[in-house]
Amino acid sequence: MLPDHLLSWMIFFPLLGAGLILFVPKRYPTVMKGIALAATIPPLWWAANLYVQFDRWGTGFQYVEKVPWIRAFNIHYYLGIDGISVPMVLLTALLSFICIIASWNINEHVRGYFALFLLLDTSMKGVFCALDFFMFYVFWELMLLPMYFLIGIWGGPRKEYAAIKFFLFTLVGSVLMLVVMLVFYFGSVEPATGLHSFDLTILADQSVHQAFLRSHTIRWLCYLGLFIGFAIKIPLVPFHTWLPDAHVEAPTAISVILAGILLKMGTYGILRISYPLLPDMAREFALFAATLGLISIIYGALCAMAQTDLKKLIAYSSISHMGFVMLGMSVFSNTTAINGAVLQMFNHGTVTAMLFLLVGVIYDRAHIRDIDSFGGLAKTMPVYAGYTGLAFFAALGLPGLSSFISEALVLVGSFQQYKIITITATTGIILTAAYFLWTMQRVFLGPQNKKWADLPEISLREAFTLTPLALIVVLLGFYPMPVLDLIGATLKHTVAMVVG
Amino acid sequence: MQPILDGLTLSPWEPGLFSLAIYGLMVLGLVSLLLFFASWLGEKKSNPEKLRPYESGIIPTGSARLRYPVPFFLVAIFFLIFDVEAAYIFSWAISYDSLGWAGWLQISFFIFVLLLGLLYIWKKGGLEWGPTSKQD
Amino acid sequence: MIPENFIQSNLQGISFIGPELILTLAILLILLVGVLLPYWRHRILFTILAVAGLAGSVLPLWKLPQPAPDLTYLSNLFVWDWLTFLSKPFFAVVGVLTILLTQVTGEIDNSEYSECTILVLAVTMGMMLLVASTDLLMIYLAFETMGILSYLLVGIRARDERSGEAALKYVLYGAFTSGTMLFGFSLLFGLAGSTDLLAISQKVAFASQHPQDRLLLIVAILFFLAGLLFKTASFPFHFWCPDVYEGAPTPITAFLSVGPKAAGFVLFIRLFYPLFATGHDATIYEAVSGLDWPSILALVSAITMTLGNLAAIHQNNLKRLLAYSSIAHAGYLLMGIVSLSDLGLRSVVFYLVVYLFMNVGAFAVVAMVASAGGSEEIDSYRGLGARAPYVCVAMAIFLFSLIGLPPFAGFVGKVYLFAAVIYKKIYWLAVVAALNTVISLYYYLRIVKAMFLEKPTETIQIQVPLSSRVLLLALLVPTLGLGIYWQPLARVVSGMF
Repeated sequence: MLPDHLLSWMIFFPLLGAGLILFVPKRYPTVMKGIALAATIPPLWWAANLYVQFDRWGTGFQYVEKVPWIRAFNIHYYLGIDGISVPMVLLTALLSFICIIASWNINEHVRGYFALFLLLDTSMKGVFCALDFFMFYVFWELMLLPMYFLIGIWGGPRKEYAAIKFFLFTLVGSVLMLVVMLVFYFGSVEPATGLHSFDLTILADQSVHQAFLRSHTIRWLCYLGLFIGFAIKIPLVPFHTWLPDAHVEAPTAISVILAGILLKMGTYGILRISYPLLPDMAREFALFAATLGLISIIYGALCAMAQTDLKKLIAYSSISHMGFVMLGMSVFSNTTAINGAVLQMFNHGTVTAMLFLLVGVIYDRAHIRDIDSFGGLAKTMPVYAGYTGLAFFAALGLPGLSSFISEALVLVGSFQQYKIITITATTGIILTAAYFLWTMQRVFLGPQNKKWADLPEISLREAFTLTPLALIVVLLGFYPMPVLDLIGATLKHTVAMVVG
Repeated sequence: MQPILDGLTLSPWEPGLFSLAIYGLMVLGLVSLLLFFASWLGEKKSNPEKLRPYESGIIPTGSARLRYPVPFFLVAIFFLIFDVEAAYIFSWAISYDSLGWAGWLQISFFIFVLLLGLLYIWKKGGLEWGPTSKQD
Repeated sequence: MIPENFIQSNLQGISFIGPELILTLAILLILLVGVLLPYWRHRILFTILAVAGLAGSVLPLWKLPQPAPDLTYLSNLFVWDWLTFLSKPFFAVVGVLTILLTQVTGEIDNSEYSECTILVLAVTMGMMLLVASTDLLMIYLAFETMGILSYLLVGIRARDERSGEAALKYVLYGAFTSGTMLFGFSLLFGLAGSTDLLAISQKVAFASQHPQDRLLLIVAILFFLAGLLFKTASFPFHFWCPDVYEGAPTPITAFLSVGPKAAGFVLFIRLFYPLFATGHDATIYEAVSGLDWPSILALVSAITMTLGNLAAIHQNNLKRLLAYSSIAHAGYLLMGIVSLSDLGLRSVVFYLVVYLFMNVGAFAVVAMVASAGGSEEIDSYRGLGARAPYVCVAMAIFLFSLIGLPPFAGFVGKVYLFAAVIYKKIYWLAVVAALNTVISLYYYLRIVKAMFLEKPTETIQIQVPLSSRVLLLALLVPTLGLGIYWQPLARVVSGMF
């Protein structure tokens, strides 16, 4: 039983919850948490339904809703999903649900936390469903506000610095995107009405571009603006410095959202906006993007190896893993790599969510995250060690777990186009294996540190947040088709469009 | 080519902006030259006697920064305002016949406002004279 | 030069300045009441009278005929177009908000309250006259009515030294720049032999062909800019702004930052578009050939916004910070003037409307916090979010709107302005403005950070009365509402040009 306007419901249902939370009296924090949880369950159910009902063979957009919003600018309230959006929406719905549970131990300013979290949830889903450039931009920016407060109020010791850095970096990218958006608006004319348009499906039609938007310089600059905007979010290496700070200072659930979903918005944006709007430039920038991807892989892995803070290590590993996504997305000679890249987006979302949740578990108990100060934890917390082991092995790409397949697909595909880059990228995998195993050894094996000998085992609530992710990781490791099925047709279409 | 501008032609050779600019520059140059020479050639030997303000040979006493009694200033301002307003009334009086009742109404309103202003400064103590003036 | 639509009868023409006349009556009434009644008991009475006067002043607007671009009245002194028609309610709203703000904050002593309301009303009247004027003399007269009375407003706290200093600075700068502008007017009068803008515009197109006259025109334009850039607080005539904004009572600061500033921008439109631009029927204008004022203004715009934003970063006094932010916003607004298109004009008007609510809102919070026991320094905002959540959330929303983040109205305003320059393909200015947005984020967030992210250093309770909350709500509704659905306002501004 699904409502009409499914996507709208899915996007705005959490917002209703947020509105409701504002009216709960201060002395009932549990009620607020309950409302927050209740506000994430129906979207998860709808997302699951969406996943089941989605027509895998269609290349167009499905569940489309299009209503005029601001006639003066020809802006539409335009939602729709294709094969790339569905896994992202599903991931968002799932992680939001899990993160609400993971945030159950938040006891400071409960009302603010959950209201902002739900607002964040709304904006994230909005980004993945918007088909109007203007709407996309609104949701994209809307995400910054709750994120700033969530890091800044509930974060760690350097939260203020981390929050403002995150905000400033992302805003630089956003305003560039705003300029490009307006250039496209004035550079295109909708043939049916003669109006300028923000409609992404219309802007993707190269024949609507006016003369000045056909000039190479303008296109090049536009692509660069968009690319910087998205690269900051992914983040690719020269633009990545906000990420370690933000991840380290953010509370656990917010780290999960940051790494699990926000980073994917960068790559999603490239797929949704850069490639369709400027396919020729996508080809031109491909080598550059692939090189940045490679640098991110190697640099992220090397940095991760040098960290002593568990959260920072995972943050840098995210940079490394997102490098694979960028590398795979820059390959247009076959569809294998790009399929691998989108699969990697999904897999990294689940794996890194697990990793951050696990760090949260240990941090809640020990209040430190210093790798070297632990030791022999496997004896104290065997179940926890088991979960962590699974997550670590998944992250380092052990065959049989999900990341292996996506990384392998990326490498196999990109080898056809960029031989040297791909060969160098494989060393990234070795480095990844090295730092994860080394960390494993330092934290869980070796002599037991007496100081932490009586840490309590992982609780039922924590296990409940981890288990679904673990199941997905294992399932997709053996059988990735549930996701590959979904994205295949759309990506084939995307690649065909870029190749022209 | 002849510029045609309804007899308001401004050519370089007639008195205009160009010549004004030249004139301005010359004045500026002359003045700065004089000032420069005065300070360059002049001898500077200062002593306290020389630095003392010149008051016709009388040795100055006290500070030069005296405060004016404000009532003078206020009265001057009030005079200015009401005097200028009176000029309007004169001009109405001269063309009284041709302005008719409409003009009479207008000037009545005008005088009413004027009276209101007088009332205001009166109530505010603007007409009080001397140190006993009412403070609010 | 008499246009066809000229309203011959002056008696009929008087009905078009109905708003100003009603305001005059309200001023006289307040003056009378202030003199005759023991004024210290009747603060609310003056407020009611003033608000009623302002509200009443917009009522006759809807009785008047449909505005038209060339409908002039009172011997061609004024024009009755959409800009005039819609500016009057705008300024009335500015006045009402200022009066209400002075009422709820109590920053102005009871003994000076009736004068304050009178002056606010009179400045409002000056602004209303200014936007309708199409004659150089009338423009100057209205400009000075607005100017001189606002100097008085700044110095209304007679026994406060900072207020006096601010007023003096404002007077000196103002006298100098408006004198310069008057000199510019005289040059134009010398060229055209008329003070009527329509008559002058025809001579200007003619005169710009001739090098000598072109020089004169360039000098005239530069002199105009002195007056206009002063009123709008733009580079290089912005130096007065921080001191005056800091020294003036906060409600008056709020008033100055939206009222005379908006009037300055409307005057930009009134003076520069008819005189120094051609192509009034098309949606795109061209600067009169040989007079490249848009390039100068584009440069001024870029410098103004950058300078304002960079200077704001290190301010610890919120009023100074907002003053520099207001300089930066003048820079953004100039983008709309520079773009020389209908879209540009619309963007200026749209932004001014949006700016009214968000900027008055920000100043309102500053005034409320200061009057509720805090101060204007950023230190007293530390941890305020926990003690006065409603006010702080409102402040955060106004500040985010000033930054230009969705879903707040400031974002839409910025989109309009960006669209205007991109429409004219002045990409460098768009990029400069975009990066400026990022700079501005930093200092606006300093306040947000102090309110929500930091622990309080002092423990004074901030009690904000209900009346203040209601006023804030009235400002919040448009700030949020216009950010989500601005089609109604977009339609109005599209109809204007």
